[in-house]
Amino acid sequence: MEQLTTIGLNHYLTISAFLLGFGLFAVVTRKNAIVILMGVELILNAANINFLAFSKYNGGMQGAMFSLFIIVIAAAEAAIALAIVINIFKIFKSVDVSSIDSLKE
Amino acid sequence: MHSLIQLSIVVLLLPLLSFVILIFFNRKLPRRGDFVGVGILGTAFAISLFIFWQVVVQAYDPAFRIAWDFTWMDLGNVPGVGPLQIKMGVVIDNLTSIMLAMVTLISLLVHLYSTGYMAGDKNYGRYFAFLGIFTFSMLGIVLSDNLFSIYIFWELVGLSSYLLIGFFFEKQSAADAQKKAFLANRVGDIGMWLGILILYSQFHTFSFAEIYANLAAGKFGLSNAWLTAAGILLFMGCVGKSAQFPLHVWLPDAMEGPTPVSALIHAATMVAAGVYFVARIFVLLTPDALHVIAFIGAFTAFMAATIAITQHDIKRVLAYSTVSQLGYMVLGLGVGAYSAALFHLVTHAFFKACLFLGSGAIIHAMHHEQDMRWMGGLRKNMPWTFATFTLATLALAGLPLTSGFLSKDAILAGAIGFANVEGGGIFYLIPVLGFFSAMLTAFYMGRQIWLVFFGESRTHLKPVVEDTHAGHHAHASHDAHSDDHHAEHGVHEVSWNMRAPLVILAALSVFFVYSPDPLDGGKGWFMKMIPTPPTVVGAANPQKGSLLAGVIAPQLAEIPAPAAHGQAPAVAGEHGATAAAASHSEAKGGHSYSDPRQAEVVHAGHAAHYTAIYISSIMVVLGLSLALIVYVFRIIDPDKTALAIRPLYLFSLNKWYWDEIYDATFIKGSMVVARLLTWFDIHIVDGIVNGVATLVRKFAFLNNSFDKHVVDGAVNFTAFTVNTTGAVLRKLQTGKVQSYVVMLLVLVFGYFVFYMTQLIH
Repeated sequence: MEQLTTIGLNHYLTISAFLLGFGLFAVVTRKNAIVILMGVELILNAANINFLAFSKYNGGMQGAMFSLFIIVIAAAEAAIALAIVINIFKIFKSVDVSSIDSLKE
Repeated sequence: MHSLIQLSIVVLLLPLLSFVILIFFNRKLPRRGDFVGVGILGTAFAISLFIFWQVVVQAYDPAFRIAWDFTWMDLGNVPGVGPLQIKMGVVIDNLTSIMLAMVTLISLLVHLYSTGYMAGDKNYGRYFAFLGIFTFSMLGIVLSDNLFSIYIFWELVGLSSYLLIGFFFEKQSAADAQKKAFLANRVGDIGMWLGILILYSQFHTFSFAEIYANLAAGKFGLSNAWLTAAGILLFMGCVGKSAQFPLHVWLPDAMEGPTPVSALIHAATMVAAGVYFVARIFVLLTPDALHVIAFIGAFTAFMAATIAITQHDIKRVLAYSTVSQLGYMVLGLGVGAYSAALFHLVTHAFFKACLFLGSGAIIHAMHHEQDMRWMGGLRKNMPWTFATFTLATLALAGLPLTSGFLSKDAILAGAIGFANVEGGGIFYLIPVLGFFSAMLTAFYMGRQIWLVFFGESRTHLKPVVEDTHAGHHAHASHDAHSDDHHAEHGVHEVSWNMRAPLVILAALSVFFVYSPDPLDGGKGWFMKMIPTPPTVVGAANPQKGSLLAGVIAPQLAEIPAPAAHGQAPAVAGEHGATAAAASHSEAKGGHSYSDPRQAEVVHAGHAAHYTAIYISSIMVVLGLSLALIVYVFRIIDPDKTALAIRPLYLFSLNKWYWDEIYDATFIKGSMVVARLLTWFDIHIVDGIVNGVATLVRKFAFLNNSFDKHVVDGAVNFTAFTVNTTGAVLRKLQTGKVQSYVVMLLVLVFGYFVFYMTQLIH
């Protein structure tokens, strides 16, 4: 019971795992490229939570630093990804990934 | 090379040149080039006459002989045969030079005569070309010094004879006749070739001289029966070419050819080639072979003479007469009267050529009428032809003072002598048949002379139906003026170029050309220059002696063989005198025969000389007077007689039914065989072929299904597998990034599970 009431490492990891799962789910099932990018943001943030949780319970600052980097990179990634989505829209007149399968050829 | 040899080769090649020029260029030359043929033959005759002069007159030596040969083909060492060299060569002796002059002379005269007889024919130029190739081949036979080249030229004369018999090939009868002649000759030639092979197998040479030298040295490795067989097989060539029974049937039909051709080929030269050939091989003939030859000759002479007496066609009478006379020559060789047979060959060539050319003149003048029943009375219109024809007829009948008398009597004397020596009753059949044929000869020639030249013209008696039936070759051009009236005003003497040959040939039928004594040819140059050559078989193998002679003439066995020159011991019994006389004449005449039998035969022939003269003169007079009685004085009416002995008459008129017999046996027989073979071909041979084809087809069918199902199946299965795999794998590559991500996740999860299980273990 105490374990349930006291918020510990496991809670963070569980939330992180759920976030990862939601992210993956979004990436795999959504058709809209923007929503897939949102799923990717969820996955990155699930990783951030993991880093921070481990950082707190391990007594160092490396995890926090790492998650800062990830936030920066995620911003860059979001910018590039959105640029790609815009270009895809220019070419295919759609952002529906299920209709974009020219990789098949 | 001797200059005479060179000249003889020139003579040989000249007619070939004539052939080549005329066959290719006759249309480009004026007069279709007939002057080329006549001119070249004239040259050849002049050279031949020179050779004749040099050999027979200048040298005057019975043993004169020059020869030259060269290797024609060297086939090296043939497996199973040994070294095989085929030589070609020329031999010149008295016989050759006489034949050379005779052949070129008759050929020249026939060329000259043909310029008149064949004038206006559409194939005029080709006719002379064929005469050229014939003369070439005939001279080749005469000059050959070996069996091989004589065989080649033998076939060449067969070919030219074939071409000339069928010269009017539009006529069905001429085409049939040429086929018949060719086939009959083939039968004989097969035998001849087998005979050549027997000799070759023993001596590995074709040369006459070498074969005889080997035979004389006793090198013949087989029994004497083989030698007899070889002789008879070689004689078969003569049977075919010289129209002896049983292959005589082609010669009368060969009269379908132009008449000058009949004179040249089918009377004077080619048919005599058979006799010439037997004379060339005379020395290797065993007594048994000679007996066969003598009987065939005698039978042929008799049979042909009986046929000749009833024939209506003027040329057919002469054709059967030719067969009969050739029978005489063969008979002469068979009985050992070698010189006499060759003498008869030459004299017969001249007078029979004269008769044929004379009949050609008559046929020409009568606008191609050949049936003697519708002739008659030509004596007044054609005096030259009449005179020459009569002279030649007397020579053929064998009346004294003619050449035919000399030669025929020499043969008959030889036959009597032979029968005396052999001593058997059956051998007397030969002279008896000979004398009887002499009488028949006189009779049918008397009949012919009278029917053609005497009496009144019977042209108007000819039934109209016959006219259309006898539609003749060159008739078309003459039809306009010949159909209604070939009355006598249409009949006139022929021009000079046809008359001159008649006169020359008739002149050569008189006795003094050959002998100073009108009763004895033996005193003439011919018989002196052509002595009987000593045999090479009897003396060399005394222990193997003739079977037949051993049975029927035991006296001969008492002669100690071989008798030395001039020392023939006296023989017991009736032959003692003759043998002693033989040795006497040997010493005197210089002819030595180491074989006692031959010496005896030759001598007996001389001894029988006067007997022969008496009997044959009586026979000839008998025959001629019978002809006079029947046809001139009409004491016996020929038509009534014919009715009285109708079966015999029909037997003779239908030529002893030989054609019918051959038709029923050989021709029908070969048709049956052909039909059997056709059946065999269709059912057995074709059956085998078809069976094999079916098998192959079945196998191919199997093979096909194997190919289709197994081989193709394997290929298709591979393709199918690849295709299916591809189809499955293709589904994985959707091109959608999300599905790739799912796969990635699945794989990572799979790896994770795998890793965990590893960790647990």
